Amino acid sequence: MNADFTLLIPEFILAGAGFLVLLVDLLLPREQEHRRNAFTSATAVLGLAVTGVVAATTQMNTGESFHDGLLFIDRYSLLFKVLFVGIGIAVVVMSVDYVAEKMSHPGEYYALIIFAVLGATLMAESGELLTAFISIELLSFSLYVLVGLSRGDARTAEASTKYILLGAISTAIMLYGISQLFGVMGTTRFTEMGGLLAAAGDWDMTLISGFVMVLAGLGFKLSMAPFHMWAPDVYEGAPTPITALIATLSKAAAIALLLRFLAEVGSGAVHEWRMPLAVLAAATMVIGSLSALPQTNIKRLLAYSSIAQIGFVLVGIVPNTVIGANAVLLHVIGYAFTNLAAFTVVIIIELKLGKETIADFAGLSKRAPVLAMIMTGALFSLAGLPIFAGFLTKFYLFTSAVDKSLEWLVVVAVATSVISLYYYIRIVREMYITETEDESKLPVPALLGLLAWVLFAGTIAVGIYPAPFVDATNAAVTVLTPWVAL
Amino acid sequence: MILELAHFQILAAALFCLGLYGVLARRSAVMVLMAVELMLNAVNINLVAFSAFRDISIVTGQVIAIFVITVAAAEIGLALAVIMRLYRRRGTVNVDEIDWMKG
Repeated sequence: MNADFTLLIPEFILAGAGFLVLLVDLLLPREQEHRRNAFTSATAVLGLAVTGVVAATTQMNTGESFHDGLLFIDRYSLLFKVLFVGIGIAVVVMSVDYVAEKMSHPGEYYALIIFAVLGATLMAESGELLTAFISIELLSFSLYVLVGLSRGDARTAEASTKYILLGAISTAIMLYGISQLFGVMGTTRFTEMGGLLAAAGDWDMTLISGFVMVLAGLGFKLSMAPFHMWAPDVYEGAPTPITALIATLSKAAAIALLLRFLAEVGSGAVHEWRMPLAVLAAATMVIGSLSALPQTNIKRLLAYSSIAQIGFVLVGIVPNTVIGANAVLLHVIGYAFTNLAAFTVVIIIELKLGKETIADFAGLSKRAPVLAMIMTGALFSLAGLPIFAGFLTKFYLFTSAVDKSLEWLVVVAVATSVISLYYYIRIVREMYITETEDESKLPVPALLGLLAWVLFAGTIAVGIYPAPFVDATNAAVTVLTPWVAL
Repeated sequence: MILELAHFQILAAALFCLGLYGVLARRSAVMVLMAVELMLNAVNINLVAFSAFRDISIVTGQVIAIFVITVAAAEIGLALAVIMRLYRRRGTVNVDEIDWMKG
């Protein structure tokens, strides 16, 4: 049994950084809100950055399991660790101005973001159902509080209540599934379960119900249809940086866990779950794209768009091949850059104009040409147009599905992509064609403007020079048991 | 009558379904939370029974049950705080009336 705690140094640093942020908040006088905000956010960024650097420099060649597969510290979890830390830094940076304007507890806010990142990291590492469950809860609890942390806006109370009630129900369902799987197999470790499942032959009801319920719990985190109903309300009600956090961090973490779970546990019995999951993927894409059409609130529209994106990710998970898994990870990376860029622009608009409907984007090309360009790029990337990340990653996803003769799924995916282009273009039209009386220049805050540029550059980098990203995803995917020999 | 694993499984399944019914049928957010507790307790019975009947020397089930109890307590604490905040804003905890956002 390997109980080498030095493997977990990045996680310890991350947890320490969270408490350090709380301490900094405590030490600064309460009336100096501006200083508290600046110091706590700087501490948070520093803690996240140190974690990322330590993980990237010390764990590049590590491929160990902690406590016989409780946690896997390997290239797969390293990729996600670095991604999550990056998302965390971006969200903290985009929060600074937002917190100064709309919130009164900067310390708690930034500390909870760090704990959410910690939970997500552990989700990507976990190789056992109980560990996975605890990690999910660490991420979820942080998000439940963050969603309701804004002062003033009455919608946050509604959003956080809905989120926590539905989250609690999905947790209970997932736990029942875990208990069923444990009952049938007598173990909760993914690797051991995979061997048992491959030898199991026909599945009995206990096994099926357990598997379905665990997937339902993960599906809720992913906002996969039919467990997506919470997403639009929570996205709209939450403070916008937290919406970005849910859209990227929590989704990516759930994908990391789902991919590892299905690869390690489900590979021996792919034929049992491929079709049902493919149908859910199609349903998710269709529901996400069609529901986005009539939306007028930009955050709500991005919520439905993220549901559709999860459908695309599932297209890469369904084949259960090394190409599919590569495509999934690449899509997650590109999607994180794209979505964070879009949300940064939304935050700037919200801070300057106080609103977040699509009509508020009218005439943006004249008022802030750079913002309009970045938003257009992000939306084109989400729609899957060339030179942006979305085109390339979607291409890989669809190719992997064709390899396993799931052409019908690709047809659905392409059709919904075309539909989604319509509502993305609607925002672009608003920005470039619709006339407004107010054509005064919109001042762009330096920090947020810089962040938007960086994320925009990332979106294009994944789109035109994917080689380093593909190297990273390939190294990550080939540590998973079914593909380790490749 | 000798109690077998199946009896515990039936009890757990019945409790879980009762909880699920409560979640779907109850209007008060607090009652929904209590129904969720019922579902989590069904999970605990299931886990402990499986663990005891399969191999008494492996305590994985009991360990998970302890974690479930702990997490459930934290969840209830957090959820009640959130519901309290909702009540201060709106003066209601009826889940049918929490519908300011639509679309």
